[in-house]
Parts: sequence; structure tokens; C-alpha cells
Amino acid sequence: MYGCTGRCLRVNLSAGKHSIEDINPELLRKFLGGRGLGVKVYSDEVDPKTDPLGPENKLIFVSGPLVGTGAITGASCNVVTKSALSGTIACAKTRGHFGAELKFAGFDMIIVEGKAESPVILSILDDKISLQPALESWGRTTSETEAVFKKNLADKWAARDTYLISIGPAGEKLVPLANIVNDSFLSVGGAGIGAVMGSKNLKAIAIKGSHSLAIADSARFVRVVTNLINKLNSAPLTSHSMSAWGSAFFIDLCYQKGMLPHKNFQGAAFTELTELKDIGTKALSNAFAMRSSGCFACPIACLKKTEVNNPFFKGKGMAPTYWAIGALGLNCGVSDLSTIGMANMICAEMGLDPIAAGGTVATAMELVEKGIADRDTLKLELRFGQGEDLLHALTLMATKKGHAKRIGKGGQALAGEHGTSKSFMGVKGLPMAPFDPRSIQGMGLHFATCNFGPHHLYAYTFIEEVLGVHEKSDPLSTDGKPELVKRYQDLAAVLDSLGLCNWPLMGVKFNNIVPMINSCLGTDYKADDLMKIGERIWNLEKLFNMKVGFDHTHDTLPGRFLNEPITDGPAKGQISKLDEMLPGYYELRGWNEKGEPRGDTLQALGLKR
Amino acid sequence: MPRIKIDHNKCTGCRHCEIACSINHSGVANPRRARIRVFQEGNVFFPVIAGPFVDAACTSKLDIKIGDQVYDMCLLCRASCPQKPFFIEAETGFPLKCDFCGIPPNPSCVRWCNSGALELIDD
Ligand code: SF4
Ligand code: SF4
Repeated sequence: MYGCTGRCLRVNLSAGKHSIEDINPELLRKFLGGRGLGVKVYSDEVDPKTDPLGPENKLIFVSGPLVGTGAITGASCNVVTKSALSGTIACAKTRGHFGAELKFAGFDMIIVEGKAESPVILSILDDKISLQPALESWGRTTSETEAVFKKNLADKWAARDTYLISIGPAGEKLVPLANIVNDSFLSVGGAGIGAVMGSKNLKAIAIKGSHSLAIADSARFVRVVTNLINKLNSAPLTSHSMSAWGSAFFIDLCYQKGMLPHKNFQGAAFTELTELKDIGTKALSNAFAMRSSGCFACPIACLKKTEVNNPFFKGKGMAPTYWAIGALGLNCGVSDLSTIGMANMICAEMGLDPIAAGGTVATAMELVEKGIADRDTLKLELRFGQGEDLLHALTLMATKKGHAKRIGKGGQALAGEHGTSKSFMGVKGLPMAPFDPRSIQGMGLHFATCNFGPHHLYAYTFIEEVLGVHEKSDPLSTDGKPELVKRYQDLAAVLDSLGLCNWPLMGVKFNNIVPMINSCLGTDYKADDLMKIGERIWNLEKLFNMKVGFDHTHDTLPGRFLNEPITDGPAKGQISKLDEMLPGYYELRGWNEKGEPRGDTLQALGLKR
Repeated sequence: MPRIKIDHNKCTGCRHCEIACSINHSGVANPRRARIRVFQEGNVFFPVIAGPFVDAACTSKLDIKIGDQVYDMCLLCRASCPQKPFFIEAETGFPLKCDFCGIPPNPSCVRWCNSGALELIDD
């Protein structure tokens, strides 16, 4: 088998036992690996009605077949489970080096079952698999967890080759907004998975190995990869913008197009922030000394590491990304970059999802601003634009100290408790990623229909709607949007399943990547074959969500986007025309008007209800 | 004579060079079979290209100060020694040494390093 290791490690925490299984090659053919394989195995083995935090729930870590092979950006491991925040299927993607190390350790996939009696760390070091007590790291932040684990390793050189994925205090305390963090500073996108790991009493997985990955046609593979590196190096977005600032360079573009949210999406970040100089890339370069850091085998290197040392926070971490500036910053009315940077690092240290945590704080702030809740009912001071309120809330939320327990349940629960669900800006219980769907229609359609809640990474239509890399698509128009959204959703499923990142698409076409896939795996896929597999994966996820109880009534956006026009900025007067796009989208997907896949659609994809 | 210039300030720690080297020499992807390894200290990455194999460790320990940071010299050292068990083929125990990818030099690691951290110069 090329690319893959073909092996899966199954760990039962209740019994304290593990076993090694072979992966059925038929599944790899049908679902590629990574996200596709993870979702397939998960939905076969777990009852959709299961309690996400119960011992019957499983947690799957699965690296795609291209991960670790040297394929450009082949680095990500997908974490598949049922989200504790939304109840939908969850699939989050690691960056950095953990995913590749999983492959070198000799596994494509780890399935974690049951619940350990007391906190443990799963350690897979050079074929020695063990569960170690996590007493020393329990209660600690993610970077401390990594430091403690490595300190205790006898061989300090081996420690340099060991990579960890862990939860912070938020996951331990079962805060639904928690996520998982790998390589001690990279939040694994997607809320609701950290609490699942916490519920299993699994603090971390540490991994190191020295197995080799076979490549089908290594001479051709080397040629194709060299070619792709050169292409990325000559494309302006990948060689310059992403390399210099990471995703934060979108801020300037989105600002100009009025897509940045402000104060819980009540306005566009424009009139009150007419000064782009405070939040744009120039300001970012001034505020932080940034060092580029790449995921495994990534020629783009969009991760920007920095150091913060002030009375509130001391440590190393990520400089603010677009999502941090949007969700933790502007949407909470905060435009001070150093505060946003700290908030982002607190999230990574505590194991909170920045988008979900930011969205929840913003909801709470709106409730306070409108006089629906106040300091006494929330037991917390939460005012738009107040950086210290934000930092305070994040820390308390993660540790469940004080009364922040309540807001730790998420924006939807909070707004519901106050009888104003409409103040929650999210879909399927998950807060929105910081793009205003009124000014980027395709992304809006994707947010409404995404199997994982309103998260941009599962369909990066931004590449066409804003960057216009391959074809230009007017973000305000609904023309061709159902087709665009479907294409990008399927494409993301393919890339996630192979273990690749979305960003190379800013420099090369998907067609250019296909020879890399084939020469590595020894396959002869055409782009269309892969897109078909992507569609199969998307439908499989959809079927799982249907069994959980999600239907077309959940494929919608908060009323604010559908009824209240944007009040200021370049997209003034726009609303989301979701109703215009949704029927066309269902039709294209071969789903009925209730958003359920039709029998013939499933049959053509080789799926069963 | 051609040489590889290493710029620590540019290295992003992506380890693409490790895989390039491993594929070129063994046809498979495995950082442990590469003749170049990238080590991290704080936020800085140090690509180290395999030098000699020695069966005894140094009797002296050295620290090196670069800017404000103090690094253990062993981190930057190219030797494979009992103190620093790198550049040894895991399965065979065979020592690995950079061969400049044949003559004329055509270093695979340089070709895949997109950040400019590795550069082939001729002086
Ligand atoms: S020059 Fe060739 S042999 Fe030497 S480290 Fe680079 S890739 Fe490996
Ligand atoms: S390929 Fe270049 S940037 Fe990447 S780790 Fe190697 S030397 Fe550093």
C-alpha cells in the first residue's frame, strides 16, 4: 500500500487495552483516508444518538494517505467525533507536525474508546504503546503539558522528535467550547471536540516513530512536487501574502469589502473602525515580531509564531490570525491587536476554540448592551470593546471558575436562557466564523448547509469570491453560488481526506495537484473521480446528521442576516439571499426539498441510508 | 567550491528537506533516514546536515551564544555520536552522511526548501 501504513490502533481506555488492526483497503478506495475514512468508521461504529460525553462515544484521529510523504502541505490529521457543542458530526484538522508523526509511528488512524478511570496520556513512542498517568499534567495548559511530558522522557534527543496533541483545562472541565491543541500552540479548528477528549480522561497523545512511507513512483513524485513548489513560489498570494502574514492578510481585503463583523454582527467593522491602520497587516507587523513556522512539508508557512511578555500574559504562541482578529477581536468590539493576540494565546493554552469562544462572548456582550443581561446575572463584566473583559471571560470560561460556567456552555445556550435566541449568531449551535454572510453570499450558503456548522474551512469559496484566484465570482451576487459552494465543499472533503491544506489552492489549481496524488499513491484518479469521492463523503456526513435529528430547518442562518440589511460600509443595504440559493443547492446535490439525499443520489454514490 | 548556505532566520521548520533527502536516497519518506534534520529551540529552527560518524562523544560540552540566546553546541553539531544518536539508519544501524547528492552537487534538500533557508552557493 502506498502512502498509507494500512494500520489502525484501537485503544480502549475503560479496559486499558489496545489492539492493532488492518485497515480495509476497500474503504481507502471509497473514502480515500483521513476525514473520509474517519467519518465512515465513526458512523459505522457509533450510534448517532449517543451522548457526546458518554463512554460509548469514540474519538478518532486519522491522517490522510499523503500525510508525511512529502506531498506539499501533507500534514493534517483529522479528529472525528460527535461535537459536544452542536451534536453534529465533527471533523477538525490538525496542522503542524502531529499528523505526519502519526504516520511515521506506523499508523493511519487511532480509535479511542471508553473512558479511563483516571487521567491518562496515550504514549506511542517507537512502537511502545502505553497509557501513562497524567497526574502531573492534569490541570495544566497545553504548552505546560507538552513541556512536562518531554521533561520526563529519559532521552532528551528523543523528546525533540516527539509531538503531542492535548487538551487544556477547558477540555478537562468538559466545557463544550473546548477544542484540542497540537504541537502546543495550534488550535485544532472546530469546537466541541476537546470536551469529548476530556470526558474520556485522555489528557494527551504523544507520538514518535521511525517507520517509512512507501511512494509508488518516487522519481515522478519528486518531479511533480518540485514543480508545485516552484508554482507556489511564483504565485503572489502563496509566496508573499500568506508567507508574510498568514491568514491575517485577509483583514485588509475583507475590510474593504465590508465582510468583517462588528459587535456580534450588528454592523460591519467599518464606520467605527474607519482606521484600517489599527488592525491591518501593517499594524500587525508593528505589533508583533513574527517568525514563520511551517506545517510539515509546507512551502507556504502561514503560521506566525510570536512571543508575548507583559503583566497579563507571558509565553509563545500564534500571532493573531484572521479568525482571531475577527472572532475574538472585532466581533467583540475589540480592535487592539495586542489584546487580540493575548486572547488567541489564552485560547490555545486553555484549549478553547477561538471562533466559538469569541462568538459566545460577543453574544453575551450584546445581551448586556441591550439590557437583557447584566453584570449580576452573568456574574461577569462583559462590555463590547473592553479588552480586559474579554481576557477575563476567556480564562474563567476555560477553568469554570466563578460563574463563567454558564457562558462556557456556548452562545446558543446563553441566548436561549435569556429568551432571545435571535441574539445568537450561529448555525446548528456553533458560532459563526467571522465572515458576514450578507456580504459574501456563497459563504453564507455554505454556513447554512455545512455539516459541521458555520465554519469557512469546509468550503473555501473565499478563494473565488474575494481573492478571485481561478475565476472571479462577485461576492454580492447569488449567480452560480450553489454550484460554487457544492464544488468547494466536495473539494475540501477531498483535501481533508488526503491530508492536504486548502491554501495551495491560492497558488495552483486542483488539477495541478492530481498528478502528485497519483504518483504518490499509485492510483490513476482524474480530478472528477476525486470530486465524486468528496461528494460521497459529504453525503455520508449528512446522513449521520439526519440520524442525529438535523433536517432542513437547521439549514438556515440567524434572522439578522436574512432580514436586517448591513447598516454601514461598502456592503451597506445587503442581506443574505439564502432563500434564493438553497433550493438550487439541494437540487444540485440531488436532495429533495427537505434537504434529504434522494434514493438515486445515494445509489449513484454507493451509499445506503 | 559549491556549498550549502543555511539561514536560520528563514527556516520555517517544515522539514520538507528531510523528506526530499530521504526519498532521494531510499525512495521512501522517513525523516529518520534523512541526512539532514531540523531541530527546534524556542521559535528558531536549525537545519543540521549530517557530518561524520564517531563512536565516542566529545569530552567537552560547549554552549554557544547567538544574540541573546544560549544554545547547546551539540544541537548544531553535525556529528552523529553516542550523545546525539541521529543520522543512523534505524533498521540497519548504518551511519548516514550527507553525500551532497552526488557530483555535480544537486542537493535535493535545497531544491525542496522554499523558504530560502537552504541555498546552494559557489565561492
Ligand atoms: S545535500 Fe543531499 S544528501 Fe546532503 S542533506 Fe541535502 S539532500 Fe541529503
Ligand atoms: S525545507 Fe527549508 S524551511 Fe523547511 S525545514 Fe528544511 S531548511 Fe527549514
